[in-house]
Amino acid sequence: MTVLGYLANGLVFSSIIVLGSIGLSLVYSIADFANFAHGDTMTIGAYTSLVTFGAVGGLGGAVLGLPYGFFVALVAGIAAAAIVAVGTEKLIYEPLDVDSIGLLITSIGIAFIYRAVIQIRFGSDFTRFDLQPLRPIESLVPYGVRITLHDLAIVASAVVLVVGLHVLLQYTDLGRKMRAMADNPDLARVSGIRTKRVKLWTWVIGAGLAGAGGVFLGLFNQLSPRMGFNLLLVIFAAVILGGIGSVYGAMAGGFLIGMINQLTPFFSTVVEALPIWPGWLATALENLITIEYANAIAFLIMVAVLLVRPNGIAGEGAT
Amino acid sequence: MSLLDDPQGALDDLTRPEGWVLGVSVTFLLFLLVALLTGALGPTYFLFLVGLAGMYALLSLGLNAQWGFTGLINFSVAAFFGIGAYGSALMTASGSPIAGGFNPLVGLVVALVVAFVLALLIGIPTLRLRADYLAIASLGLAEVVRLVVLNERWLTNGSAGLRGIPGFFAGWPVLSTFPEAMPGLRVEVIPGSPVILETAFWQASLNVLLVLAFAGAAYFVLRRAHRSPWGRVLRTIRSDEDLARALGKNTYSFKMQSFVIGSLIMALAGVFYTHLNLYVGPGDLDPITTFYAWVAVILGGSGSNRGALFGGIVIVTIREGTRFLNDVALPIDPAPLRLLLIGVVIVAVMRYRPQGILPPQRELIWPSAVDRGGTPETPDTGVREQKGGGDDE
Amino acid sequence: MSEGALPKDDVVLRVDDLQKSFGGLAATDHASFAVERGTITGLIGPNGAGKSTLFNLISGFYEPDGGTVEVNGTDVTGMEPYQVAEHGLIRTFQTPRKLEGMTVREAMLIGPRQQPGESFLRLFASPGSVGESEAANLAEAERILAEFEIDHLATQPATDISGGQMKLVELARAMLAEPEILLLDEPVAGVNPTLAKKLKDQIRRLNEQGTTFLLIEHDMEFVMDLADPIVVLDQGHVLTEGTPEGVRNDDRVIDAYLGGGT
Repeated sequence: MTVLGYLANGLVFSSIIVLGSIGLSLVYSIADFANFAHGDTMTIGAYTSLVTFGAVGGLGGAVLGLPYGFFVALVAGIAAAAIVAVGTEKLIYEPLDVDSIGLLITSIGIAFIYRAVIQIRFGSDFTRFDLQPLRPIESLVPYGVRITLHDLAIVASAVVLVVGLHVLLQYTDLGRKMRAMADNPDLARVSGIRTKRVKLWTWVIGAGLAGAGGVFLGLFNQLSPRMGFNLLLVIFAAVILGGIGSVYGAMAGGFLIGMINQLTPFFSTVVEALPIWPGWLATALENLITIEYANAIAFLIMVAVLLVRPNGIAGEGAT
Repeated sequence: MSLLDDPQGALDDLTRPEGWVLGVSVTFLLFLLVALLTGALGPTYFLFLVGLAGMYALLSLGLNAQWGFTGLINFSVAAFFGIGAYGSALMTASGSPIAGGFNPLVGLVVALVVAFVLALLIGIPTLRLRADYLAIASLGLAEVVRLVVLNERWLTNGSAGLRGIPGFFAGWPVLSTFPEAMPGLRVEVIPGSPVILETAFWQASLNVLLVLAFAGAAYFVLRRAHRSPWGRVLRTIRSDEDLARALGKNTYSFKMQSFVIGSLIMALAGVFYTHLNLYVGPGDLDPITTFYAWVAVILGGSGSNRGALFGGIVIVTIREGTRFLNDVALPIDPAPLRLLLIGVVIVAVMRYRPQGILPPQRELIWPSAVDRGGTPETPDTGVREQKGGGDDE
Repeated sequence: MSEGALPKDDVVLRVDDLQKSFGGLAATDHASFAVERGTITGLIGPNGAGKSTLFNLISGFYEPDGGTVEVNGTDVTGMEPYQVAEHGLIRTFQTPRKLEGMTVREAMLIGPRQQPGESFLRLFASPGSVGESEAANLAEAERILAEFEIDHLATQPATDISGGQMKLVELARAMLAEPEILLLDEPVAGVNPTLAKKLKDQIRRLNEQGTTFLLIEHDMEFVMDLADPIVVLDQGHVLTEGTPEGVRNDDRVIDAYLGGGT
């Protein structure tokens, strides 16, 4: 594959990570805990859309190789993820009398409950959306780019959602309050913002975007009950890279981590090609920078960022 | 005060949850005993369960030394368990790609050394981090360890795992041949349902002996450490790290010590698992092991060593109970059912009893100091005071 | 190390040209002052004057951007808080967190520095020595609690006593660390008048027995009665220092408190 090919794949994967990381970052700052159930919220979105799509069918026409019915299913996935998240907040998190570490631990329990219910209903095997697999777009193949119309649809939908969020954050009252709260929750509270309501909307938006990310992840790869949990750490890496609480940081972090993840095989060719390394180091790097370690590399970047710049690459230095 | 000297007094001393746990445990034991005697529960399988409970208790004791004592959110339990298992397996297994065939004692030492190094590698960067970052970072690093074990075939055999692992007592005088040497026994307590004890049973009893030795040693060490000035610094760090720093305690060093000690105990659980299961694979590093240990610790009560022991038993009940349910009653895949139960237990504990079922009750002062330097000048001693010198935590 | 204007013995703490800024705003702006041995030095200033920041810089919780801190003639700038404490500077906090699951005397026993029982290996290698030092520390803790007239609290859970009582316990615990100089961050904030009086008496008594104090306090009556000299901080730098009377009558101080400050 060419550089362009890897970049194209990276763009598609990044779109999914970005959708996941925005919600995780928002909840991390506004609800004030690391939500380990965020990945499984994505899984909920994916499986809801799977069921919905199975029920409504194609509904006639298609956009970007995706039947109208799929978009109905996408909306259903987003809605289900948001409803489940709000329900969990109301029923579980809100009545709890524990600190943010207690909430973090609770969210692990929630993650397991989500995943267990899905696994009991659908089994642990991989499934796919009932869609005709597409061939790569012909006109791009000569450039070494092998992406399908579905991949394009993922990127386009993600862009629409992210732009929508941007408009919401910049031009609406709710958006301003959310940014204020993400920035400084205490200050927001004393300045009279009804934080409870903002928090609820945070869950709706964060989980909704995660649901969309889950649907696209299912479209990009496959669906399995573990799909979300497996992606959770990669998303955490993106959030930390971008700086917790910063929506735009989360977008940037998600983009970078997604790219790095998909570009790993390319980096390994680079290492091979560059003669600057001593022999043993080149061998070691060639063995370590492989697709098997794509996630491991993201995690190591995450730990490094936590150590050097705990506020993210764009944030201010450590305090 | 021991249960034997003064059973009535000891019972009166129990708090309500303690009495409750005692009651449930006794009932559960009686139930198992009946099952054993009627032949419903094979004695070898029963001993296997006891071994597993001991293993989870070890994991929980290790995590308790980190989270319960010091408040370190370590989500890399599975990595240390796996490193312990792989360390001993790689030394002893006939199928080991690098060494193999060594005495299991060598395996034990190597496993502990490797776990020690890994604890430093993970601890040095992460223990300076905020609590929630430590959680995320340690989970990430555990995943890195799992990926290495899965992918470095030259070292670990990759996804095929390691076979040909001897029992722990292989190569020991007497004990290595003990199971074969023992005669088969036929015990018939209830007429018509005999219980037969064979080589496998004796093998399993040796395993139980081993895990009891491991868990007993860990319990002894941790109990003494918990009520020492060392443990007191850890407990201060858990509540208010800045206070400990302001009073001249090198908190980073204390956190590292607690992390390393906990990790070594987890590795010990891994070593035991290797010689119990006689096979290890990358699946044994699945993060679920981490959360089994977490459930055990928060359920038992953070900081409570006996709570961790109790939690270990609960985990085995969840693990094997779901399997049993699947075999007997409900045709539900046990894996998600376990996950569901674990999730529900975590949420329920955090909701209704965040301090756990058996939180530490007693004042933790070095026992001989309380006896000697006691408080004759303070007559109004409370309940906690009287329990200060008690022989339970 | 100690070539200052004053002989070493007279100055316990010397802060020289200390600077710290957060996000471009100077919280501590070239602050310099010294605390002489045997004094109770008060540190006052309007809200936001940078008193807490200064405490954090002195005790090693923040790293200064510039300047030096000397304790007993030793440069402790940039040291970890525990190292600063080892040089004899102990501090308390404005709002202490709850010590879950500890009794008052357990909480006291964190105080003594360098306890043999804080070494993990020694717990098993020589448990006897651990027991001896623990017994000695326990006896000392109870003696100090008795001096503070709070020995009846010894076996109470530390989470159950009042905020004012906790402040007394903190002061008592700090004495177990045998400080050369004790930094108190608002010792009577939120404490009822009776306990505040008790705290004042204790601080005075300990001072007479040789402990040097540096304290931040908002309660003017309290600080003017207890401390001499007084250092006034405004916008991160030392505005003036002197006797309570001198400070009270200083126009610049009044301006600073009234928010004038130019």
